[in-house]
Amino acid sequence: MEIKFILNKKAVTIDVDPMKRLLDVLRENFGLMGSKEGCGEGECGTCTVLLDGKPITSCITNAIHAEGKEVLTVEGIALEEDGKLLIECFDETNAVQCGFCFPGFLVSSYYYLQTDGDEDLEKIKTALSGNICRCTGYQKIFDSVLLACKRK
Amino acid sequence: MKFFKPANLNDFFEITAKIKKNIYFLAGGTDINVQIKNNLLSEANIIFINNLPELKGIYQENDQIVFGALTTFRELINSSLVKKHLPLLSDNLQNFASPLIQTSATIGGNIANGSPTADIMPLLMILDANLIIAGKAGSHQININDFYHGYKQNKLNKGEVIKEIRINRDALTDVSTFYQKVGARKTLTIAKVTLAGLMKITHGKIEQINLAVGSLNEYARRLPQLEAYLTGKTKQQINLEKLKTILAKEITPISDLRSEKEYRFSVCLNLIRTFVE
Ligand SMILES: Cc1cc2nc3c(=O)[nH]c(=O)nc-3n(C[C@H](O)[C@H](O)[C@H](O)COP(=O)(O)OP(=O)(O)OC[C@H]3O[C@@H](n4cnc5c(N)ncnc54)[C@H](O)[C@@H]3O)c2cc1C
Ligand code: FES
Ligand code: FES
Repeated sequence: MEIKFILNKKAVTIDVDPMKRLLDVLRENFGLMGSKEGCGEGECGTCTVLLDGKPITSCITNAIHAEGKEVLTVEGIALEEDGKLLIECFDETNAVQCGFCFPGFLVSSYYYLQTDGDEDLEKIKTALSGNICRCTGYQKIFDSVLLACKRK
Repeated sequence: MKFFKPANLNDFFEITAKIKKNIYFLAGGTDINVQIKNNLLSEANIIFINNLPELKGIYQENDQIVFGALTTFRELINSSLVKKHLPLLSDNLQNFASPLIQTSATIGGNIANGSPTADIMPLLMILDANLIIAGKAGSHQININDFYHGYKQNKLNKGEVIKEIRINRDALTDVSTFYQKVGARKTLTIAKVTLAGLMKITHGKIEQINLAVGSLNEYARRLPQLEAYLTGKTKQQINLEKLKTILAKEITPISDLRSEKEYRFSVCLNLIRTFVE
């Protein structure tokens, strides 16, 4: 089936099984390897992208869900001002260890910075509660987002 | 797996009428995609309903708040109409699943899936929500408290869809409410016990009380015998032993990997006491 959507601000059209997971569409059809598969069941957040500006888990979302909508992946976010700011803060705080969870955290943090941005630890914890990191103790991740809120 | 994409409800009825069996609807996809991943749906006919315009929106109609079945949990907790009239819902569903799942998961999907642990169910039950079911022959209404009849078994017939959920706008006027989900952590947690309650006290007596529990039976449900016992009583007249006996008849908790049945019973009893005493 032909599906049209906006991917990282560019209009795209693909011929694809409408049930194909959005995660696989991004990785296989577009070579965007930033979104990762951890659990494949919506629990870990490594596959997080923005769909019409709101964070979703792309592993339990289908190609058809993107039709006519805007998808922003971590690759797109990395080019935005708030994305660059967040990367800088994660870097300075040494918040990333193996890095597998990082794209997902970046997308959720970006959404928080864009829609709220309060320097409020509890709010940040809630905003990132759909993302799991198995290496760090989370504190440095929260510190990075707090720092980004402060600098913005 | 076959795929169908109706443009509107009429189209949906035409399509479903032609398919004999194994029909599954795709709304937000948060339940169905997990089933697909676990190879549970290989022969499925998938009907994409997430774009059906008739199933969208939250609005007020006379004294009713109407939720299209495709309303997502994110839309529900952010709705100013819900915050104003039914804050019990927006306040208590903040921690539903995770912020990521909240974007996609729909209320209609949650109700249709009918998990005994579903967070919203006890709330809809004490609010006496009505479901509008649409089928080729027309629409009919069914109270959420009459919708289930077994583990993940509901009264939808083939070719029918949950179109909307309707709640009385004034359901929370002059009542006190209670909601507690007991789980292992705050987000992404499956409930061990959930209690929702709504109570009206007049001259020191319980004039009306609605109680509903989740995770304690094969489907979430109201506690009609306990409600009947408590109605008309003052707090001093409530007898703990009697409360226990009735509760034991109304809930059938099981032991599983999340907790023991004795624990579930005690927690439920304590939650009820916290609310009424
Ligand atoms: C990581 C994770 C965490 C979760 N946490 C929670 C939680 O904390 N609490 C909780 O209650 N649930 C939780 N869920 C479950 C899930 O998100 C909900 O059940 C969701 O609301 C289902 O809606 P959906 O639109 O995604 O359904 P879909 O997956 O699209 O559909 C589910 C089923 O419902 C049927 N259906 C959908 N819409 C309709 C309709 N309008 N009429 C008739 N049938 C319909 C479909 O045929 C299908 O069988 C969680 C899920 C995941 C993946
Ligand atoms: S891979 Fe999507 S949430 Fe884990
Ligand atoms: S840095 Fe390894 S999972 Fe988060």
